[in-house]
Amino acid sequence: MSDMRFFVDPIRCIGCKACMQACSECDTHKGKSMIHLEYIERGASTQTAPMVCMHCDLPTCAAVCPADAIKRTEDGVVQSSQAPRCIGCSNCVNACPFGVPRYYPEIDQMLKCDMCYDRTSVGKKPMCASVCPSEALFYGTLEEFQSRRGGTPQNSFQFGEQTITTKVFLVLPDGEIGLDMDVISHMDARFEPDAFDHLDPFAHLEPLPMEQPQTLRGRL
Amino acid sequence: MLNPNVPALPPRRDTEPVLVPVMDVTLDRRGLLYGLAFATLLTVAVYFGSQRFHGFDGALAGYCFATVFALFGVVYRYVVWLQRPPTRMYWKRGWQLFWQPGHRLQNLGLFLRAGWEKLIEQRFIRKRSRKRWLAHQLIFWGCIIAIAITFPLTFGWLRFESDFAKPSDYMIVLMGQRLDFFTFPARSALGWLIMHGLNVAAVLCLGGIALVLGRRIRDEAELATQRFDNDIMPLVLLFAVSVTGMMLTASNMFLEGKFYYWITTTHAVTVYLWLLYLPFGKFFHIFQRIANVGVWFYKAAGANGPQARCARCDAEYISQMQQDDLKTILPDLGLDYTHSQVGNWQNLCPSCRRKLLTLNQFRATGKEFM
Ligand code: SF4
Ligand code: SF4
Repeated sequence: MSDMRFFVDPIRCIGCKACMQACSECDTHKGKSMIHLEYIERGASTQTAPMVCMHCDLPTCAAVCPADAIKRTEDGVVQSSQAPRCIGCSNCVNACPFGVPRYYPEIDQMLKCDMCYDRTSVGKKPMCASVCPSEALFYGTLEEFQSRRGGTPQNSFQFGEQTITTKVFLVLPDGEIGLDMDVISHMDARFEPDAFDHLDPFAHLEPLPMEQPQTLRGRL
Repeated sequence: MLNPNVPALPPRRDTEPVLVPVMDVTLDRRGLLYGLAFATLLTVAVYFGSQRFHGFDGALAGYCFATVFALFGVVYRYVVWLQRPPTRMYWKRGWQLFWQPGHRLQNLGLFLRAGWEKLIEQRFIRKRSRKRWLAHQLIFWGCIIAIAITFPLTFGWLRFESDFAKPSDYMIVLMGQRLDFFTFPARSALGWLIMHGLNVAAVLCLGGIALVLGRRIRDEAELATQRFDNDIMPLVLLFAVSVTGMMLTASNMFLEGKFYYWITTTHAVTVYLWLLYLPFGKFFHIFQRIANVGVWFYKAAGANGPQARCARCDAEYISQMQQDDLKTILPDLGLDYTHSQVGNWQNLCPSCRRKLLTLNQFRATGKEFM
C-alpha cells in the first residue's frame, strides 16, 4: 500500500452517512462506525464534517496511553487499541488533537479508525472511501487524485505551538503548505440557546451508547 | 479561556515536529534495582519456606530458577513501564485517591468490587463477545490453577506425604507443617483432582487455545492485525506446555514410563520458555491490567469532582483532574499544545476539535458555508 494515500476533503461532504454505514461493516470493528460525522452549524448550514483518524506520524493518542495499547504499524497506520491492554482511561479520547478516538464503556475499551487495516493491508480501499459519493473521502495514488481535481493535499497541522504531521492528507488550496488551527474566527453560531449544534444527529448509528461523565457521578 | 484579543494566529514556524522520547534501550537502573530486590526476596522466601532447602526437590531446581528470573523480568519491566509519564500519573493519582482519609473503607470495597468485575469475572470481555470471554476464562483459570500448584511445589513450600496412620491417604505438607487435619484418600475423586490438577489446567488451556485459534485463523480482522511474536507465540507456548505436561501423565499411566526422560526435558524447556516470555511478551498484559482497577477509581473521583468546560462550546466534556493531568504529562512527552487563542488546544472538547478541522479548511479556502 506504499503509494496509496488517504485524502480528506470535508468541503465536499454532503452528509449522506454512507461512510458511517460502510464503516460499520468493516471487519476490524464489526458493527460500529468509527467515523465521526459532525454538523458544523446545525441552525445555519447543512455543512457536515467527516472525521477519520489522521494517522499521525507521532500520534498523541499513543503517547498519552498509559497502557501502551496503541501501536503504529510500519506502514504508518495507527491501530485501534489492543483489546488485552486498553484499560479504558480515555486519555487518548481527550488528548487527540483531532478528536478521533471513542471510548465504549460497555466493553471498557477505546476504539478508533484503523484505516480498515484488514482491507488496506491487502491493497483494498477503506470502506468509507470506497462508498463516498462526493469523494470527500478518497483513497488512491497522488496521480489519481491530481487527475481528478485541483487543490493541494497537505499533511501538516499547526495546533498552537504543536506541529502534527499525518499519514492522511487534507485538501487545501494550491500554495498552502499546512493548516493553522484557528478558533477565534469560528465562534459565531455557537451560543444561540436553541442551536442544536451539539446534539449528535447521528446518535442512532451508534450501537453502543457512550457513557456521559454524569452517569458515573455518585458511584463513589 | 478564550482570548478575543488575539485575532490572528502567529505565522507558522517551519520547525521540525518534536520527537516523542522513546524508551531507552539501555538497562534501567531503577528497574534493575527493584527487579533484583524482588528476586532476592523470593529466593529468601524459597530458602525459608522450604525449611532451608529440606523440602526442596532438586529435580525442580530449574523451574525454580526460571521462576525467580521471570519475577525479576516482570518487576523490571513493570518499573520501566511505571516511569512513562502517563502511567506514572495514573499510578500516583490512583494511590492518592485510594488513601484519601475518610474514604479508605469505602475504597477497599470499591477496589474489591472492581477487582472482581474486571480481573476475575472479566465482564468487559463478555460484553465484547461471549466466545472470546469463554476462551479467555478457560486460559485464565488453566494458568491460575497451574501456577497455584507448580510455584509452591517448585519452591519446596508444598509437598504431599502419605499418612503414617493410613498409608493409602495423603496429607499436604505446607512449609514444613503437616496439615494432618486434611488428609484425603489417594484413590478418591478429591485425590484424583489434586493429583491431576495440572492435567485439568492443561485441558482448560487447550480448550481455550482451540477457541482462540479458531478465531485467529478465520477472522479477517485478526488475520490483518495479528503478529507472530505477539499473538501466535503465546498460544504456541501454552500449547507446548500443556501437551508435554499431559504427556508426562500419559507416559506414567499408560506407557510404563517410556520416554519419560525425554518428555520431562521437553516439558521443562517449554516451561522455561514460557517463563522467559512472560515479562516481555503478550502475557505482560496480565500485570498491566491491574491498572484497570485504578482507572476506575480515577474516573469515579473525576466524575464527582469539578468538570472542565470546552473553550468553544462551553460543554462539560472531561473532569478537571484529567484535563489538568493531561496538560501536565503532554510536555513531558515532548508535545506542546499551548495555543494563543484558547490557552491550550486541550481546552477544546473532542467534538469542537473535529469541527475545527473542517472550519479551518473553509477558512483557508475562503469559502462560506452553504
Ligand atoms: S488523529 Fe488522533 S487518534 Fe489518529 S493517530 Fe492522530 S492522535 Fe491518534
Ligand atoms: S483508553 Fe485505552 S487506548 Fe486510550 S489511552 Fe486509555 S488505555 Fe490507552
